[in-house]
Amino acid sequence: MTHESDICIIGGGISAAMLAQKLAELKPGLAITVVEAGTKIFDVENRAKYRQRSLDYGENAWPGDFIDDQAGAGIISRTMAVGGSALHWGGVTNRFSAEDLTLKSRYGLAVDWPLSWEDLERHYCEAERRLGVSGEPGPLPEDRRSEPYPMDPMPLSYNLTVLKTWAEKSGIPFQGTPQAKNTRPYDGRSQCLRCNTCEICPTGARYSPDFTFKQLLEAKKIALHDQTLVRRLVASPDRKRIESAQAVSRAQNGDTVEYRAKTFVLASGYAWSPHLLLLSGIGNRSGLVGRYMTGHAFIGGQIELDATLYPGMNEQHSLISRKFFRCATDAPFVRHDLRVWESSAGRDPRLKDGAGKLLLGDALLTDWRDRTVRGAARVRAYYDVHPAAESALTLDSSKKNRWGDPLPSIRHVLDEPTKARADATKQHIRGVFDLLAKANNGRVLNVSEGTYLDHPAGGCRMGTDPAASVCDSHGRTHDHENLFVVGSPTLPTGGCTNATLTFVALTLRSAPAVAGTL
Amino acid sequence: MTRLSRRGALKTLGAAAAAPLALRNVRPPSREALRRDGLDPATLAAIAEVVLPSEADRAGAVSAFNSWITNYREGADTDHGYGNTRIRATGPSPARTYPAQIEQLEAAARARGASTFPAAPLAVRRAIIEQAIADAKVERLPARPTGAHIATDLMGHYFASPGAQNLCYRAAIDRDACRGLPGSEKAPARR
Repeated sequence: MTHESDICIIGGGISAAMLAQKLAELKPGLAITVVEAGTKIFDVENRAKYRQRSLDYGENAWPGDFIDDQAGAGIISRTMAVGGSALHWGGVTNRFSAEDLTLKSRYGLAVDWPLSWEDLERHYCEAERRLGVSGEPGPLPEDRRSEPYPMDPMPLSYNLTVLKTWAEKSGIPFQGTPQAKNTRPYDGRSQCLRCNTCEICPTGARYSPDFTFKQLLEAKKIALHDQTLVRRLVASPDRKRIESAQAVSRAQNGDTVEYRAKTFVLASGYAWSPHLLLLSGIGNRSGLVGRYMTGHAFIGGQIELDATLYPGMNEQHSLISRKFFRCATDAPFVRHDLRVWESSAGRDPRLKDGAGKLLLGDALLTDWRDRTVRGAARVRAYYDVHPAAESALTLDSSKKNRWGDPLPSIRHVLDEPTKARADATKQHIRGVFDLLAKANNGRVLNVSEGTYLDHPAGGCRMGTDPAASVCDSHGRTHDHENLFVVGSPTLPTGGCTNATLTFVALTLRSAPAVAGTL
Repeated sequence: MTRLSRRGALKTLGAAAAAPLALRNVRPPSREALRRDGLDPATLAAIAEVVLPSEADRAGAVSAFNSWITNYREGADTDHGYGNTRIRATGPSPARTYPAQIEQLEAAARARGASTFPAAPLAVRRAIIEQAIADAKVERLPARPTGAHIATDLMGHYFASPGAQNLCYRAAIDRDACRGLPGSEKAPARR
C-alpha cells in the first residue's frame, strides 16, 4: 500500500506533535501524515485505573507502550508509542541558557550552536504557550524573558516553602521549577489536582502529546498511522531528495507500506532518527550521523535537615537554582543546575532497628515517628559535559529486530576537556551539597553519580558547515533538500538541565522552513 | 534456622493429624479460594493485631490487603523504568505461599495448646510470628507483598499506604489522593 502526502513526519513524540500542529496552522489544508512505530494509548478514561494499578502493583501505567524487539544498548527509555517519552515525562520545562549556544566562543569548548539566544528565546516562549507552562520569573537578571509564562506558577507546597527558606540560607537563590502543568484550565485540559503521580496524570493537567494528536485528528488536520515501523528512506537517483519511506505495518502482520511525500521529517528522537538514517545510508556524507551523542551527567544526594516536612504533599514539584548555569570565562569551567525536592529518604518504616531488633506494631510506629522528626531533601545537579566525535550510535549487527534490521547501540564518550575537569566538577557539586546541608544544621546522607547521560540528544547535530554537521539550524539535512531532522538529535551539546523544552523550541523554529519547502 | 519446606509443613500437619478433630477445623485456603475470596479475615486480623500498630485501622488494613491479593494479576507488564530499563512482568502471586505459611502458624499455635492461631493469646501469636519472620529470613519491610511471609507482607502493604503515613506524621497528607492545589502551601491538617 502506498500513501501520499505533502509532509511525512516519522515519529510520534512531542516534537512530531508540535511540528504537526504548527504546520497545520502555517499551511492550512496541508496533507500531513505522522507515522509512529508504537501504538496509540488514547483511552484517557482509563488513566485513573491505570494509575491505581501502577500505585498498587507497579504495573505499567501506560500499557503496551513499548515494542518487544525494538530496543538497543544505551537507550534510556523503552517507550515507543504515540506521544513518546513525553507520555511519562515529569513536565519539567527548564530553558537552557545563552552559554549553551556559545560554548566555543565564550569558553573555547565544544561548538557554538548555529543560532542566536534571542532567536531560541522567542521559540521558548512559543513552546511554553503550546505546551502550557506554569512558572515564575527567576531571580537572576540573566534569566530575563521576553514574555511572561502562560500560567501562574504551581504554588510551592508547604514542604517546598520550608525547603526554599532552608536552601536560600546558603546564599543560593531558588525558584519553583517551571512545568507543563496547568495551574488553571488550559487548552481544553483541567487544572492540576496534585495527584502526585505525574508520570501518569489522571486529569490531563500535565501536558502529553496524545492530547495534541487527538485534537489534530478530530480536526482532520493529520493522518496518524500508528504501529507502523519505517525501515528505510529511499533517495532519488541523484540523491538530492528523499522519494519515499518504506515501512511495515505491525498491526497488519508486517504488510509493506510505502510513504511518498514532498518533504520528510524525522522526529523519532535521539536514537531512532540517526538509526533510520544509518539503516538507509542517508544524510551521512559528513560521516557524522550517529556521532556526538550527548546529554548531561548528574550527581544526586540526600540531605537531612532541621525541619519538619510531610513527604508526599507534591513530590513531583521542586525548586531550581540557575545560579550555576553561568560560569566566568576566567574561572575553571563548571556549569550545572541545582534542584531540591522533598524526600523521605532514611525515614521509611523499617522492620528492624539499628541494633537488628525486630519491630512490630506499636514499636515500629514509634521508631518510624522518632526518625521523621527531622526532614530530608533530595538534591541533584545536572552538569554540562561535551561529547567526543566517538560518542556514537552505531548499528549492532549482532542484535536485530524481527524484520532483520540491526538495532542501535549507543556509547557515550566525553571529549578530552570534559574528562580533564571531571574531578573538579564533581568536587564543586559535592561542595554545593555540603553548603546546602550546613546552612541549617543538616548533613549529607549520601551522594551518588548517575550512570548514564540524561535527556540524551545528538546524533544529527546541526551546524553551518556540512563537513562538521548533519543538518542546518532548521534541521534541514545538508545532503537532501526535502529531509529534515527535528528535536533532540540536532543538539550539538546537551546543556545542564532538562532538555524537552529546548527540543520543542528548536522543532517549532524548524516549522516555517519545513513549510517553506512546499 | 531455615524456612519450613513444603515437605516439612506436611510433616508438621501429619503430626497435627493426631490432634482431636475439634482442633483441626481450620483449613488453609486453596489457591483458587484465595484468588476468589482472599484470606480468612479472622486469621489476618489475628496477625494484624500483632504486627500493626494499635492506632491503625487494622480491619481496614486487613480488608485492603485481602483486596490487593484477590486483584493481583500474574504476568502483567510492569513499569519498564527510566535510565536503566527492563521489560518485566509481575510474577506469581505472593499469596501462593500463604496457605503453607498459614498452615505453619496454625500448627505452631496447636503445638502451644491453642485450638487455632486466631484463638491463641496475643503473646503466643507474637512469639509464633517472630519465629516465623526469623525463619523466613525477612530483614526489611517489602514495598509490596513478596510472598516471603504473610506477616511481613501485611506489614509492608500497610506501612507503605498513605493511611500509615498519615498516622506516622499525625497529619492528613493523603499522599496518593488528587487533592487539588488550594491549601497546599499550608502544613497538612493535624490528625
